[in-house]
Amino acid sequence: MLNMQPYQDPTYFVLLAIGLLPIMVGLLYGRRFRVYETIISFLFLLLTFGGVKWEQGIALIGYIIFELLLIYGYLAYRKRKNASWLFNLTVVLSILPLVIVKVAPVMNNGRESIIGFLGISYLTFKAVGMIMEIRDGIIKEVGLSEVVHFLLFFPTISSGPIDRYRRFLGDYKKIPARDKYLALLDKAMWYIFLGFVYKFLLAYLFGVVMLPKISALALAHGGWSWWVIAYMYTYSMDLFFDFAGYSLFAVGISYIMGIQTPMNFNKPFIAKNIKDFWNRWHMTLSFWFRDYIYMRLVFFMMKKKLLKSRIAIANVGYLTLFLIMGFWHGVTWYYIVYGLYHAVAINLCDMWLRFKKRHKEKIPHNKFTEALAIFITFNVVCFSFLIFSGFLNTLFFA
Amino acid sequence: MDVKKKLFKIFGPIILAAVLLTLLLISPFNLRKINDKTVEVAALSQSKNIFKGTVVKQKALEENYVPFFGSSELSRMDAFHPATLASHYDRSYRPFLLGGPGSTSLSQFFGMQGINQQLKNKKTVMIISPQWFVPKGTDPGAFGLYYSNLEAVTWLRQAKNDQMGRFAAKRLLQMPSVQNDPILKQAIQKVAAGQALSSSMKTYLDLKYNQLQHEDELFSTLALKDNTQKITKVAKVLPDKYDFEQLDAIAYKLGQENTTNNPFEISNKFFDKNLRKKYKKLKGKQSKYSYVRSPEFADFQLVLNQFAKNNTDVIFVIPPVNKHWSDYTGLSQEMLQDFNQKITYQLRKQGFNNIVDLSKDDGERYFMQDTIHLGWRGWLKMDQAVAPFLTKAQPKPKYQIDNYFYSKSWQQLDGKDLDQVTR
Repeated sequence: MLNMQPYQDPTYFVLLAIGLLPIMVGLLYGRRFRVYETIISFLFLLLTFGGVKWEQGIALIGYIIFELLLIYGYLAYRKRKNASWLFNLTVVLSILPLVIVKVAPVMNNGRESIIGFLGISYLTFKAVGMIMEIRDGIIKEVGLSEVVHFLLFFPTISSGPIDRYRRFLGDYKKIPARDKYLALLDKAMWYIFLGFVYKFLLAYLFGVVMLPKISALALAHGGWSWWVIAYMYTYSMDLFFDFAGYSLFAVGISYIMGIQTPMNFNKPFIAKNIKDFWNRWHMTLSFWFRDYIYMRLVFFMMKKKLLKSRIAIANVGYLTLFLIMGFWHGVTWYYIVYGLYHAVAINLCDMWLRFKKRHKEKIPHNKFTEALAIFITFNVVCFSFLIFSGFLNTLFFA
Repeated sequence: MDVKKKLFKIFGPIILAAVLLTLLLISPFNLRKINDKTVEVAALSQSKNIFKGTVVKQKALEENYVPFFGSSELSRMDAFHPATLASHYDRSYRPFLLGGPGSTSLSQFFGMQGINQQLKNKKTVMIISPQWFVPKGTDPGAFGLYYSNLEAVTWLRQAKNDQMGRFAAKRLLQMPSVQNDPILKQAIQKVAAGQALSSSMKTYLDLKYNQLQHEDELFSTLALKDNTQKITKVAKVLPDKYDFEQLDAIAYKLGQENTTNNPFEISNKFFDKNLRKKYKKLKGKQSKYSYVRSPEFADFQLVLNQFAKNNTDVIFVIPPVNKHWSDYTGLSQEMLQDFNQKITYQLRKQGFNNIVDLSKDDGERYFMQDTIHLGWRGWLKMDQAVAPFLTKAQPKPKYQIDNYFYSKSWQQLDGKDLDQVTR
C-alpha cells in the first residue's frame, strides 16, 4: 500500500487538492459534509500511518484509546470531586506514553519504542491541555466524535501547530460566512505557496545543498573553526524555513477546511529579545508551555508561598519550563543544554528589562539600539540552535 | 465582487501556472538545443547531472565523442590524461568522461540507459577499479549520487523480461534512491518479478519520461565545471609531434617533480590533502582487504551484458595499485592477482578480449598519480593501447553472454574454486 509522509512531495499536495475540493465547495455553499470530512481524514491518516508504517498506525490507535479513557475517566470523576492527587496522576498517565517513547532510545541503544508514532508529542500536548482544562472546569463535556476529530485533525497531526480543544470546536461547529471563507481561502493559498518557497526552495538550499558541504568541511577541519560558525547560521536558516514552511502548509490546509489553526511563526528573527523571540518562534508550543506549565507553576508557588520574591518565582518557572522543553526534544545532553541555555538567557533578559525600567532616562532608545538588540538576539538564538543541532556532539564527542 | 470572480482571483493564477507547466513538461517538443561549446565543457566536467541526464550525452556521442566510463581516476587531468592527449594531438575522437568518485558498475549500467542507441556498434573505453569490488558491493549512498529517475524510467521503457532485466530491477530495489516515486517503484517491482507492465503504467512512464527529459534539457547544464582551460594549460609541456620515447621522458620528469614530499611517489598535492595527517595510522591496515568476493561482479555483468546487447566494441583498462603504497598498507598482492584472474576470466569468457592489463606495472616509476589512480606514465601507457584501438579499424566483436556471471556462486568465488573455474 502507498505510504506518504505529510507535505513531503508534490503527489501529496495533488491528493490534498483532490480530497479537499468537495469540502471547499461545501463550505462555499454553507455546508459541512461531516461524513465526507471524516472519511477523507481517515484516508490521509491511512496514507501516513498505513503501508510500511502500519506499526505506527497500530500504536496511534492504541494511544488514542488510552488518552480517551483518561479524558473520559477524569471528566466523569471531576463532575463529582476535585482531588489534586488524582488530577496529577491523570496528567502523569497521559504523558507516560510520550515519556516512554523519549526515554526508550536512551535505554535501548537508540532503538525506538514500539509504542511511538509520528506526532505523538503533539497529540500529548492536545490531550494534556484538555485534561487541565477539565480540571479548571472550562471543559464541561466532551463529545466523542469531536474529541477524536480534534486529536486526529490530519493537517496538523505530524508536527502541529498545537490547537486548543475549545477553539477548535468553535470552528468545527460553525460554518464560516461566505465572505469570511473566501478570505480564508485567499490566505490559505498564500500560506501554502509561501510554504513551498520556504520548504522546497530555501530549506532545500540551506539544508540539502549547503549544510552537508559545510558539515564536511567543519568535520575535516576538526574542533572550532569558521566552518562551525557557518554551520550555525546555515542550520538555523534550515531549521526555520523547514519548520515554518511545514507550519504554513498545516495552517493553510486547516483554513481550507474552515478551521483557523493558530499560526506558529511570526518573523522570529526580528525579535528584540529572547522573550520576544519565544512569542514569535514555534508560538503554539511556547504558548502551551506558558499556559500549562509556567503559569500554573508560578501560581502554585505563589499560593503555597514556596518562594518569597516574585523574581525568584519567575526564574524558577522559566528554568522548569525550558528544562522540560529540553527533555521533551529528546534525552540527550545537547537538548538539555539547549533548554538550560534558553532559561539562563530569558532570566538575564528579565534582569535587563528590570534594570532598564529603573534607569529609563539613562539608557538610550533609538533605531540603532533596536537594530543592535535584534542583532544580539539573533546571534544568541542561532548559537542555541547550534547546540540544539547536536553538531557539537558530532564534532567533539562522536 | 461576486464569488466566481473572487474564486478566480484566488485560484486562477495557480491553475493557469499548473496547466502551463504540465503542458510544457510533458510535451514531446525539444525545449532547448545543446550547443557544441556546452558539449565540450560537459565532456570534461564529470558533472553528476550530466551523468544522470541523457540529452547532452546523446548529442555528444552523435558527434566524435567517445565515452570513457570510469570513476575517480578520470579527474586526474595531467598532461597525459586521455582528454589532454586527444585534444593536443587533434585525434579523431574526444573523450567524454563518465564517472567520478563512487561511480561503480551499477551506476554505470543505469547511466548507459539513455545512450544505448548511440552506443550501438560504437567503440568505447572502460576503466575498471579493483576498489569497486569490495565485499559489500556498491555503497547505496554513492549509488544515490549517480542515480536519477530519468535513468530508471529510460531503462524501464526498454527493459526485457530476461535475466539482465530482472537482476537490474532487483538491484535497483535494494537501493534507497527509488523510494520517492511509488508508481516507478511498482513498475520496477513488476520487472523484478518478471511481470509485464500494465498499459497505464506504460503511459505514466512515457509522460514521466517527457517530463524528466525536459528537466534534464533545462537544468542539467547549469553550473558545469569548466575544465577545458585546464586541459589546454597542462598540455603546454607536450611536444608538437607524438613521440613515445620523448613523451615518456617528460612524464617521468613531471612525476619526479611532483612527488617530492613523501616516500610513496604520491603526488605532493594528494599527499598533503588526503594522507599527511593519517598515513601513519594506515600502515599495515589494508592486509585484510579483498576485492575477490563481491556482488560487484554481478553488477559488472550488467554492464557487459548491455555492451553486448549494443554490440559496443569496448576496451577495458585494469589499473594497478601503487606498489610503494600497497607494500606500506599491506594490501595483498596475491589478492590483487586473484582479482585480476577473476575479472579477466569474466571478460574473456564472454568475448571481451580488448583488455589493457596494467596491473603488472605497479612498480613502474611515476605510473600512478597517487595511491590507486593512474597518472603521468600510467596514462601514457594506457594511451598506447587505447588510441590505436579508437583510431584504427577493429575486427567486429563476438560476444557470448553467460548468465552464470550473475550468480551468487560467481560473486563469491575465490581461492581454489576460482582457480578451478578459470583454468
